[in-house]
Amino acid sequence: MTLPAAAIDEWYPVAMAPDRPLRPDQETTLLGERVRVLLDGQEPRVEANDGRNLPVIVRHGHVWTSLGAPKHDLFAIPEGEQPGRRLVECGAIRVRCSPLRAVENFLDIAHFPFVHTDILGSEPHTEVNRYEVRIREEVDEVWATKVTFYQPQAAKSAQGGITTEYMYRVPHPTCSVLYKTCPPRPGEWDIITLFVQPLEEDLCQVWPWMALFDDQTPQADLIQFQQMIFLQDRSILENQIPRLLPLDPGMEMPTRADLTSVAYRRWLKKRGYHYGAQLVAA
Amino acid sequence: MASVCGTLEVAVWRSASGRVAAWVDRCPHRGMRLSHGFVRGEMLSCIYHGWRFDGAGRCRKIPAHPDLDPPETIRTQSLACLDAQGVIWIASEAPAVAPPDLGNVVPLRSLTFEAGIDAVAAMTGEVPDRSLLRLDAHGPVPPLVLLLQALGPGRSAVHALAAPTGTGALVAASRALEDFRRRTEAQGIAA
Repeated sequence: MTLPAAAIDEWYPVAMAPDRPLRPDQETTLLGERVRVLLDGQEPRVEANDGRNLPVIVRHGHVWTSLGAPKHDLFAIPEGEQPGRRLVECGAIRVRCSPLRAVENFLDIAHFPFVHTDILGSEPHTEVNRYEVRIREEVDEVWATKVTFYQPQAAKSAQGGITTEYMYRVPHPTCSVLYKTCPPRPGEWDIITLFVQPLEEDLCQVWPWMALFDDQTPQADLIQFQQMIFLQDRSILENQIPRLLPLDPGMEMPTRADLTSVAYRRWLKKRGYHYGAQLVAA
Repeated sequence: MASVCGTLEVAVWRSASGRVAAWVDRCPHRGMRLSHGFVRGEMLSCIYHGWRFDGAGRCRKIPAHPDLDPPETIRTQSLACLDAQGVIWIASEAPAVAPPDLGNVVPLRSLTFEAGIDAVAAMTGEVPDRSLLRLDAHGPVPPLVLLLQALGPGRSAVHALAAPTGTGALVAASRALEDFRRRTEAQGIAA
């Protein structure tokens, strides 16, 4: 299969950064091709199946690579650099779904009461208030702002229910950054990201990463909380039909609560990013 | 529950009042399998976003928009579904004929076989392509009716009904079915 440039010339996460335990020679898959993550001393190196060295960036707690030659840098998360943040890598969760479905689910809040019951949402607090979505042309990113939702336990550090405010940013076809009300530090945002490694069109590996203001909760509890949330999501993601994300309208029916998903699909289509997508014409 | 009708994956459910319905196993909103949903009263709710559908498959409630009366066009894709003689029957389009008369039998149990329906029929000595088999009484086992449902190329569901009889005979029939399944699946492995 010949992959389109939009998918090839892009950065993807393939491992946690080497300050975390990394097996010295790790095989993985990227866009259907086998790649190896190696360590040259402290420096990670990524090798393609044919032995050629692939470009590497170590950023946001992960090792990123590309099968092609990206003309752009990997996106930045400036707020993640603020002093006092806990940086938490959560490992990988493999999901039998399109990488794009995994991102779209991350952008969705309406499922909280039903999939993350009594944690990120609960009945009867199911209403999704109006929020704002736009494609910021100057940076070519999708942004959703003023997203609010009532949550029984918004974070590991939350005591009781609060109305949480969210901002979603999609700077990359398979990555999203979530800015979320920070219970112990009002006025600041906690950062939770979803970095998705496309293994195949309908198989992916999700690398959640967090940059939090929380110096109380043990690391293991923070990771366990995220893993619980993503495992609940996996029970949905592996049972959507079709597995690929339909980019053309008609196959699925959005409402006002899905404006972020609508913008995300439109943005993917405009960029010609079809890996993991289903097009009517195809 | 999840079922299959030919090549269609289907969600079959029964409401609190006992009404049955069968739909293509896909929520019109984001494609989630409706067979993972939950029944509340006369409605089936999708597990993903809680969209609620009535027995006719029409969307009645979208929890993200509690005040919205969902437009009539939002509906599931319905199959013909009938509850008769202790069996739920489904068809992708409503057939002109009623299901066959099974005679004086009561539902016994449904089993999944790792074997296609032709292989199951052949084991009983029946010609393949028959989905309704009648087995004579055999020792303590009463006469049985087997309804064969193809779940895939090498999988089938066998819905068994038995002539009304005592509990002991029904237990014997159930054991005999399990034995029949073992032999049928072993035949497949041998072949």
